[in-house]
Amino acid sequence: MMARPQRWDAPFGQDMTDDDVEKLLRQYPISLIDKDKFPQHTPLEGILRNDTRIVRYQAGDIVVRSGDYGNSAFLVLDGTLRVVIAPELPRDLLGRQDVARKGFFEALTQLWTNRRVPEVRDVRRYNRSAMRAGGDSSRSVVFLQDIPAVLDRHQTATLGGGALFGELAALGRVPRTATVFAESEARLLEIRWQGLREIRRYDESFRKRIDELYRENALKVALRETPEFGGLDETDLQEVANSVLFETHGSFDWYISYQRMRGAGKEGAAHEPAIARQGDYPDGVLMVRAGFARLSIALGNGDRTVTYLGAGDHFAMSELYDSWVEGKPAPLRASLTALGYVDVVRVSAPILEKYVFPRLAERPRSPVDASAARALTDDALLEWAVSERFINGTQAMLIDLDRCVRCDDCVRACASTHGGNPRFVRHGRTFDHWMIANACMHCADPVCMIGCPTGAIHRTQQGGMVVINDDTCIGCGTCASSCPYQNIRLVEIRDEAGNVLLDRDTQAPINKATKCDLCAANPGGPACVRACPHDALRRVGFHDDDVFRKRVS
Amino acid sequence: MRSFSTTHAVSWVVLGALFAGLALHRDQAEAGLGEPAQITGYVLFALFVALASFNARKRLSMVPLGRARLWAVVHTFGGVFALALYWLHTQSLWPTGTYEQLLAGLFYLVTLTGILGWLMQRLFPARLTQTGLEIIYERIPHELARVREDAEAIVMDCTRELQSDTLARHYFESLAWFFRRPRFILSHLFGGQHGVHWIHQQRLTVARYLSQRETEYLDALTELGYAKLRLDLHYVLQSAMKKWLLVHVPLSVALLGIALWHLVLVHVYAL
Repeated sequence: MMARPQRWDAPFGQDMTDDDVEKLLRQYPISLIDKDKFPQHTPLEGILRNDTRIVRYQAGDIVVRSGDYGNSAFLVLDGTLRVVIAPELPRDLLGRQDVARKGFFEALTQLWTNRRVPEVRDVRRYNRSAMRAGGDSSRSVVFLQDIPAVLDRHQTATLGGGALFGELAALGRVPRTATVFAESEARLLEIRWQGLREIRRYDESFRKRIDELYRENALKVALRETPEFGGLDETDLQEVANSVLFETHGSFDWYISYQRMRGAGKEGAAHEPAIARQGDYPDGVLMVRAGFARLSIALGNGDRTVTYLGAGDHFAMSELYDSWVEGKPAPLRASLTALGYVDVVRVSAPILEKYVFPRLAERPRSPVDASAARALTDDALLEWAVSERFINGTQAMLIDLDRCVRCDDCVRACASTHGGNPRFVRHGRTFDHWMIANACMHCADPVCMIGCPTGAIHRTQQGGMVVINDDTCIGCGTCASSCPYQNIRLVEIRDEAGNVLLDRDTQAPINKATKCDLCAANPGGPACVRACPHDALRRVGFHDDDVFRKRVS
Repeated sequence: MRSFSTTHAVSWVVLGALFAGLALHRDQAEAGLGEPAQITGYVLFALFVALASFNARKRLSMVPLGRARLWAVVHTFGGVFALALYWLHTQSLWPTGTYEQLLAGLFYLVTLTGILGWLMQRLFPARLTQTGLEIIYERIPHELARVREDAEAIVMDCTRELQSDTLARHYFESLAWFFRRPRFILSHLFGGQHGVHWIHQQRLTVARYLSQRETEYLDALTELGYAKLRLDLHYVLQSAMKKWLLVHVPLSVALLGIALWHLVLVHVYAL
């Protein structure tokens, strides 16, 4: 017997006291929030106590980095911060690493420079990285050593007490757009996304503020990129932008709930958060802004996946068009469920009827139209990939087991280009004669990047690959725990004499996170693909339905 | 089925044209009282070196030397071409001199192991996939040990619970042999069903002496037997696909050495 686990069993900050909460309630802009609007089960005091924590930064500490994914917003309690406007800070100052591609002969030297023991590092280079350790590994930060020089060379803006930043990235699951660092000692209230969502839900002024920020900063750009709204002039586009509603579905940390769901043997659309149900009447089109959603139709006792929607896709356009043409409501022909965290905008039917439908030359097509002509077996691989969440991958390692002779040439090639230790395991989930091996898929929604305390795991500027900067990785394992596909591994590193490096204080081995980097430093692209003599291995992105259709035959 | 790719078509055309050119040259050299075997010999030796370099390419995967797939196609077509060229060069299936016989023997063995390897690589992967099991070769011994422990645990549980040693006796008389290590190697290699038949027969043999409850234990044991057969199949086929290279590559190196010495001898004594 045990007490049923509750949402706030594990507070965000362990040190928050009633006194802290009282002070926060009196501090601007929290003092503007009407706490009476919050329900009894989710009081504002509870949110502050359990979904926030007070974090102290020293001068020069980087709070958020441009390009990072984060699940928190920050409220400046006291002190001064600077947001870098232009030009962006050099990547090495942010703890990033620009991977220089080796030349032919430099790459060849690995033939004799690879050590007999794996994971040997030149430890001298670790001393050069600007790292400041906190009380625990999750609070280690990268800091700027020369703030005046940064202020001289970069245009910045000041953030003082009461400023809120990072909320759009936290709620929208999009990369942070600017770097913020502490100019002086500062005290910040870090609000995790769950708390942020609750405050937005119950406090209208807060919600308006967030929504306005999104409308101003990103929505119009996003609408302009769609074929439906791309041709509108500025005034019409503004009217559309003013009318849309923002919604989020699913769980931000979906990888945890997904793993639990799998563990309980619950899979399929029936167990996913519903966004819209087949048979209901739509009041607007849903445009996916971030994340993935499953489009499915009822079949027998289950649901058949028709396709999945990602950023830029929309739902219910054809049904609304039919309603407009026929003058009577048309029900939804498919259901939409959240595959993890989905961020959508809802554009109402009257707006569509005014600005979009009159300009359409023909009825918008729905993926449901084509599904009737396809046999169940045609979509079996798609169904599997959606169920396993492989759709997240942009560079998944797909192995054709009918061709693979299990020679492990791919593994050896990977090891020889990565200091003697392969960065993947030639093993993974299989469907028919296809296997997705345990190699980093360089996901469209890289949940591994959420929570990295030093920003060591990041996307490359060119190609957008997810890579780890070995110099700034502190081996905390946050990324490895977050990866839903178990594609990141912690390895014990060694010095040049081959000895395992030990922590000076605890005598525990020093770990570093490792994963496939698509051989970013080596010429010729991924060695695993080049090394396969049987054309059995390739890297594929699942964003294109053709991946499934072409490979089933 | 694999598609007949452009690479294959180009390979056939290029090699066919090369062979025709060499055959024509040989005829002309013969008619002109020249050394018809000289050019074919050099081309054959160069081809041996080129074929052997495929193995070196595997060790140089850190540099872009072209996709291994292309190398493999060239290696396969080159091997077929080498056989045709060998016959053009020697004008016989089996030479008369001892040294030449050694050379021919090695060449035929390398060719034969090459063809066997090619066939295995074409046929075995799909058979492995059809087991519904995927396992890394190095883990198979651990899995076999786990299956054996599970089988012994079933027998022990049965004996302990039902105070009857009938199943245990049968296990140690017959089934223990099967669970000890991979069995029915040849049957697995050639796609036979000997193992399935054996397990079925063992079940029939002992089932008549067992109670209802003991039969349930036997069923669990039989399931483990089928699981082990799948592991055995993986072990046998993966072993074959790995170990044929341990024959093919050393023989190729030996052939290269003997051919080089043949080249030296020809230069010293015959030209």
